[in-house]
Amino acid sequence: MRAERSFLLVAIILAALPGLASAQSRQGPASKGAPTQYSATASELLQVPVTGIPAGGPAEDVPDIKNPFAGDPGAAERGMKHFRAFNCVGCHGDNGGGGMGPALSDKKWIYRSTPANIFLSIYQGRPNGMPAWGGMLPENVIWELVSYIQSISSAPDSDTFGTTISRNPQSPQKEQVPATELETAKPWDHLQPFHNGQKP
Amino acid sequence: MRFRLRDIGAICATVAALAVAHAGAQDLPSLSQDPKQWPMAPRDYANTRYSPLEQINRANVGDLRVAWTFSLGTNKGQEAAPIIVNGTMYVVSSYPNNVYALDATSGELKWTYKPNTDPSSQGVACCDVVNRGLAYDNGKIFLNTLDVHTVALDAATGKELWVTQLGDIGKGETLTMAPLVVKGKVLVGNSGAEFGIRGWLAALDENTGKIAWRAYSTGPDKDVLIGDDFQPFYDRYKEKDLGVSTWPPDQWKIGGGSVWGWLQYDPELDLVYYGSANPSPWNATVRPGDNLWTDTLFARKPDTGHARWADQLNPHDTFDHDEINESLLLDLDIGGTPRKTLVHVGRDGFIWVIDRATGEVLSADAFDTMNVYKGVDLKTGQVIPNEEKAPVAGKTIREICPPAPGAKDWQPSAWSPRTKLIYVPHQHLCMDWKIGDVGYIAGSPYVGATADMYAGEGGYRGAFMAWDPVKKQKAWEIRENLPVWSGALVTGGDVAFYGTLDRWFKAVDAQTGSVLWKFRTGSGIVGQPVTYQGSDGTQYVAILAGIGGWPGAIANAELDPRVRTAAAGMVGATQDLPTYSAAGGELFVFALPPPQSRAANPSEGDHAR
Repeated sequence: MRAERSFLLVAIILAALPGLASAQSRQGPASKGAPTQYSATASELLQVPVTGIPAGGPAEDVPDIKNPFAGDPGAAERGMKHFRAFNCVGCHGDNGGGGMGPALSDKKWIYRSTPANIFLSIYQGRPNGMPAWGGMLPENVIWELVSYIQSISSAPDSDTFGTTISRNPQSPQKEQVPATELETAKPWDHLQPFHNGQKP
Repeated sequence: MRFRLRDIGAICATVAALAVAHAGAQDLPSLSQDPKQWPMAPRDYANTRYSPLEQINRANVGDLRVAWTFSLGTNKGQEAAPIIVNGTMYVVSSYPNNVYALDATSGELKWTYKPNTDPSSQGVACCDVVNRGLAYDNGKIFLNTLDVHTVALDAATGKELWVTQLGDIGKGETLTMAPLVVKGKVLVGNSGAEFGIRGWLAALDENTGKIAWRAYSTGPDKDVLIGDDFQPFYDRYKEKDLGVSTWPPDQWKIGGGSVWGWLQYDPELDLVYYGSANPSPWNATVRPGDNLWTDTLFARKPDTGHARWADQLNPHDTFDHDEINESLLLDLDIGGTPRKTLVHVGRDGFIWVIDRATGEVLSADAFDTMNVYKGVDLKTGQVIPNEEKAPVAGKTIREICPPAPGAKDWQPSAWSPRTKLIYVPHQHLCMDWKIGDVGYIAGSPYVGATADMYAGEGGYRGAFMAWDPVKKQKAWEIRENLPVWSGALVTGGDVAFYGTLDRWFKAVDAQTGSVLWKFRTGSGIVGQPVTYQGSDGTQYVAILAGIGGWPGAIANAELDPRVRTAAAGMVGATQDLPTYSAAGGELFVFALPPPQSRAANPSEGDHAR
């Protein structure tokens, strides 16, 4: 019964993700140096939870899916170009500050933070407004977007559990140099004092 | 053709039934003449937001206190005006656009309507998932949902009467505006010019929901409903199919010009007025040409939708300067001559005074810091761009004033026939602007510009201003730290009301601008204040609190205040807003205490500059 049901579930999701099973040979024209073999298979991705509550306790054999571009120094730069070209920037904002879509610049993740989680959020879309890109973008493009998102989300306060907002004492004290001044895949490397809505 | 006697009988019965139905369909105009009511978002067809009620006045407004409150159950921006018809208040929340009918005197909940709005629609709403209000006519409430449905409800019971789907969220279309009912037709326009939608205004039969006509803002004349009866004041609009020829090939199909703002109607001239939104995308270099009929004021016949006149205020818009803002239909004495005017408080930073019968621009005066336009050419009726501020691909142009949201956005003004002043809530911001490559992908934003906004000269970010449209100058202004994103209300008691993003609801002397009273609400205010008389004879003032909208998204959504370009650059200007307000939607209703307990003197208040 249980096995039958999970088999059915896999079949349904595979049917819903036609690109996923066959996309391993797809190459994006904008992508350079993409590996020919991706590290995650469709069935491995199916095991990635979008929740912190694994029913029945933590699973022992959840695959550790890595971004195939991890360690590729150019991947985030290429991802930044995709972020513009595919209009991600229109919702999530330059440097991922957020807008119609949530910020990608901070450490808060609605649909969880692993590279596979981010990949799946882009591939499948999400119910409160994130479009599903799996039918349009090759897998390598999505993984490069993941590289870029990992790069812009490395905020300097990542070592605190929460975020304090206050006028006095002022918090936050720093802001990014804005994208009107500087195009970079590492915006957290370029900070200036927080301006409280005044002209920088 | 020969009639038999029983046919004639049937025809007579039909005519009689039609006459009855027609008489019943017209209670909206008479309701808006009744001071007790607030039957449409702007209160009247002329969009004045003036109520003759005077129980609350300059002398006693200092005693105003909360009568009752109601939680809206949603935490996004609450931009709607409550409407009040025959003792019942109807309120709509931000997405998913729940409707509540409340006893306007006691606050008792009468019914609730919850539309099954598609959650995906939240992803294609440019500037928070807001709704600007319901409409009423002939025993029905009309609701626009974010996922592009217009719904008619029985005003007495909340029962769903009809539903019409008008567009497609998959193309980036949404509905956020308050419908206006004119002569039995529900007028509805779309939002989505940041997604490359094609703008339209549709007229729905109020009894069936059937679409009577739809007028597009771009494309061939037959789609724009420009026919032989089109009589523009300016000759340049007399060529055929300008909605095609002023664009690169096919670009008009994704050219924007949505109709997400205010509609107004002059029953005497029988003309509906509104402005269309910005062209898509924001990066203007991909759409050489004037881009008609975006950023255009239209006058249309409500029966057919046919355009009578049009004037494009900002040809080839380079800064997202929509012209969807309200127009007040005022009969003014201009140079000693009484004129039927339309006073349009423009996003471009000008107060336009236009002859509403002909479309002739009579005057246009800047009301805030202005450097992107050199003024308005009264011979052409269009802005004169300052070429020094023209966008250049890949280059950051600094100090653009007014910025993308304009000197004033959708937040509607009010007019007092007593003081002869227009009360204008607005922002005071400038921006840096950099345009870049952009490609159209259905269902994704089509923008191509990076903005960073900040406080304008003097460091303040908003103002509540009184403007004399005849003298063409400011009477007074109250400067606010943050953009003023609420609507305005003015009353026969010479009190004007507005709300602030830092949670103040304020009553000011309509003549002098002195602040007479203020109340700290639970969340910042982006709603529209209204006033009405309850069944107990008491005058009430109502406002929705609930931070949001374009400047408020930083305080109600997962945005990063450290990234100035977030929310299309608005976060640069409102990054400190989360230190003043958190999210939360709530209706506040105020009244004076019973007469015997009222204080003798109004409280001391702030003073206008």
